[in-house]
Amino acid sequence: MWLLIIFCLLIGLAIGFQMPVLLPLIYAKYLSIAILAALDSVFGGIRGYMEDGFDTTIFVSGFIVNALLAAGLAYIGDKLGVELYLAAVIVFGVRIFQNLAIIRRYLVKKY
Amino acid sequence: MQSKSAKISIAIVSLILGIMLAVQFKTTASNNATQIPARVEDVAQQLNSATQERDALAEEVVSLQAKLSNVRKNDEAMADLEEELQKTRMAAGTTAAEGPGIILTVNDIPRKIQPGEDPNDTIVHDSDLNTLVNDLKSSGAEAISVNDQRIIAMSEIRCASTLMLINTRRVGPPFVIKATGNPDMLESGMNINGGWLSIMKQWGYQISMQKSEKVQIPAYNGPIRFEYSVPAEKGEKAE
Repeated sequence: MWLLIIFCLLIGLAIGFQMPVLLPLIYAKYLSIAILAALDSVFGGIRGYMEDGFDTTIFVSGFIVNALLAAGLAYIGDKLGVELYLAAVIVFGVRIFQNLAIIRRYLVKKY
Repeated sequence: MQSKSAKISIAIVSLILGIMLAVQFKTTASNNATQIPARVEDVAQQLNSATQERDALAEEVVSLQAKLSNVRKNDEAMADLEEELQKTRMAAGTTAAEGPGIILTVNDIPRKIQPGEDPNDTIVHDSDLNTLVNDLKSSGAEAISVNDQRIIAMSEIRCASTLMLINTRRVGPPFVIKATGNPDMLESGMNINGGWLSIMKQWGYQISMQKSEKVQIPAYNGPIRFEYSVPAEKGEKAE
């Protein structure tokens, strides 16, 4: 399980670094928000997997929709003149740390 | 079954996440490398000021080109003016001069003063120097300096106790008088019978005179002030 995640991450990194795509600076901010959302989804998925409450549909849809929503919210915030992406950063950041904490407890219990 | 699909979905999601991360890393790295100002407003302002500067410079180019063509047209007049200016500066003594001429050295009478003798009888006086300089002028000297003080129209030579004041600078013996001009004319003009130099020689002053192919006369480096005088006929010469 862990090996699979790390392996796929590394492959993704390799592909990404090899890709000739360079995002315009204006969109870098939105991609960073989307990455935060994706990270949150992944950790949430891992947590669900360890809790045996993992649902593929929820996981995949959460990954896609969260990322798009976060980026879209940040974009709207920019248009409105409100730094809305900060809200996304805080929410996803808090959730990532919560999920990490729960994963850690399961791991401690397991071994 | 559920575990398998979960694994597949997690794998795909991880893959996509990795790609996104890599792209973001690359973008951030290139961003930091170029140090582009993040704010759109800043860039817009820079563009604005650069555009304004460019417009101002373009206007300057136009005006300078007009001036340049003007100058080209008046090039001959400018050259004439330049020549005139150089000549005037030479006459005024505000530029250094060099050329053939003579170097005349005058020093006090070397003998000991006898008791009861006036020491003024053995030293070089301002009147002596004034007369010598005047003789040089009448012999056709073009530029004269005494102890590297350029003699200009308003230069004074006067005694100040044991020293001499020339251009308000203190100078002392020996006095080295340099003059440019025709060396032969100058020499014969100074050595003329009954001239002041011959009289000084008879009295026993130490005098040496040598012709030189290249006499260097420094420029007058004092202030030139006109507090009371103004040009009487303005603009007549400029035409």
